[in-house]
Amino acid sequence: MSFVEIISELVLMPLIAFVVGLMMVLMMRKISARLQRRIGPPFFQPIYDIVKLYGKDTQVSHGLIHDIGIVMAVGGYIGAEILLPVPGMEGIADKGGIITLSYFLMIPSLGMALGVGQCANPNGSIGISRALTAMLAYDIPFIIVVFGAAWHYESTSLIGMIEYQQANAWGIIEMPFLAIAGLFALQGMLGKQPFEIYIAPAEIATGPMVEMSGKYMGGLFVMQTFQLYTAGVLYASLFLGGGESWLDLLPKAFLVVAIPMSIAFLFPRYKTEDLIRILWKWPVMLALIGLAFIL
Amino acid sequence: MMKKELKIKSNKTNQQKQKRTNPLANVFDDFIDFCQSKSLFMLHYCTGCGAIELPPAMTSRFDMERLGIQPMVTPRQADILLVTGYVSVKTLKRVILTYEQMQAPKYVIGICSCTVNGGMYWQSYATAKKLNEYMPVDVYIAGCMPRPEAVLEGLNRLKNNIKNDRKEQKGSAWKDYYKNYDYYLGNQQNLFGKEWQTPVDVIAEAKLYGLEGEGTYGENTKKLKMVQHPLLPQEMKL
Ligand code: SF4
Repeated sequence: MSFVEIISELVLMPLIAFVVGLMMVLMMRKISARLQRRIGPPFFQPIYDIVKLYGKDTQVSHGLIHDIGIVMAVGGYIGAEILLPVPGMEGIADKGGIITLSYFLMIPSLGMALGVGQCANPNGSIGISRALTAMLAYDIPFIIVVFGAAWHYESTSLIGMIEYQQANAWGIIEMPFLAIAGLFALQGMLGKQPFEIYIAPAEIATGPMVEMSGKYMGGLFVMQTFQLYTAGVLYASLFLGGGESWLDLLPKAFLVVAIPMSIAFLFPRYKTEDLIRILWKWPVMLALIGLAFIL
Repeated sequence: MMKKELKIKSNKTNQQKQKRTNPLANVFDDFIDFCQSKSLFMLHYCTGCGAIELPPAMTSRFDMERLGIQPMVTPRQADILLVTGYVSVKTLKRVILTYEQMQAPKYVIGICSCTVNGGMYWQSYATAKKLNEYMPVDVYIAGCMPRPEAVLEGLNRLKNNIKNDRKEQKGSAWKDYYKNYDYYLGNQQNLFGKEWQTPVDVIAEAKLYGLEGEGTYGENTKKLKMVQHPLLPQEMKL
């Protein structure tokens, strides 16, 4: 691959992720609206929100680390996007593989922890400690699922996994238990109810976001678009055979994101200790059973 | 002791929203104004009985989200402060603290007759009568209590004001707080006593935005200078 090609892919992949992510945010809000029998936001609402936030007159910064934290939160996902192969573009996916990707997925949480730490708001600190606890909770089933998938496909490269699935059967047919455990982990990773412990607007006033305003909040909105896209495409590549073309991949990714969203708006949330108990019990058990079948 | 500094950066050097000469900049400004009018995060400070009309305005019957308005939970994230009902003197302090922490451009909506002129609490000793003596109010929605249709009507009027801000100089009530700070501070001092001060240095912000006016300084700000002590982080005690 020529140098120019690589550079253009590195720019294009996050851009596409952003646009698709915006649609996913819209879908999320539409689903919540429809479940509550409302009309929901207009089509361009996610863009209005982000532009408005970046266009605010006051931008309160709490210091350098606060700024860097947000850059890390968005940058971590941008790094993840170029490791995530999509139809026609591979970026640097063949250099990285799923293990590097799992590390990249932790960077945003750590970045938020850094940034929020400097805000010195007690609600923010509680929120971030809960976010890291939640990360501990969902990462164990997630890592077992990733390990199982890598073992089954005999490859740690996402490209290899997708090729295997397109030649043989989809992962969800060959390892249904791991796929279900993966869905649980996804719900935790997206921080949606019933695992929404760290946002908790009525309890700790949106936790990590409590001091964020203007472009910082805008940064987090951008992060959310990337987050939804990454979750959808990663799950689709692991279990739903990736995609041969965009027309193939996008419906899968949207479907994957729609499942946690539809569950989310029907449930209240768990307490922190209940969250850990439930995530370390059921998905881990399912994942271990799934692992036993394929080993 | 840890010293935390709040740095407030300003987007544009001159915050007066005036037409700029570069045509592209105009298009850009208009686009931002348009987005601002389309996306409003509101902080509803449910002070009185009028708050009961907000749930129907937000949920399935009237659905505020289709107008691009959604609730937020902290003053940092919010654009609109909804004061829903009578404000007692004790509550008013909190409303002012909240208002000053919000990020410009910020808008205040007074819902209910009680915020307009005291309403049925006119004779109460503990209630602040007119909200706009203590902070600039963009839109009043009168009624005891106003129906959700009226609330949505008021919000729509605010949206129009924001969109036509540059043309008609509407929807900029928040600038008035900086330009006439002395007046608002005086009223606040009358109510809360001479010791009254808030954590936000409004005069410094006015300088930063270039919104200092005749009314920014006066008798009352002098009084404030005398009693004002610097804000230090509280010591950690167990
Ligand atoms: S105007 Fe009527 S409904 Fe509204 S706060 Fe006053 S008494 Fe209550």
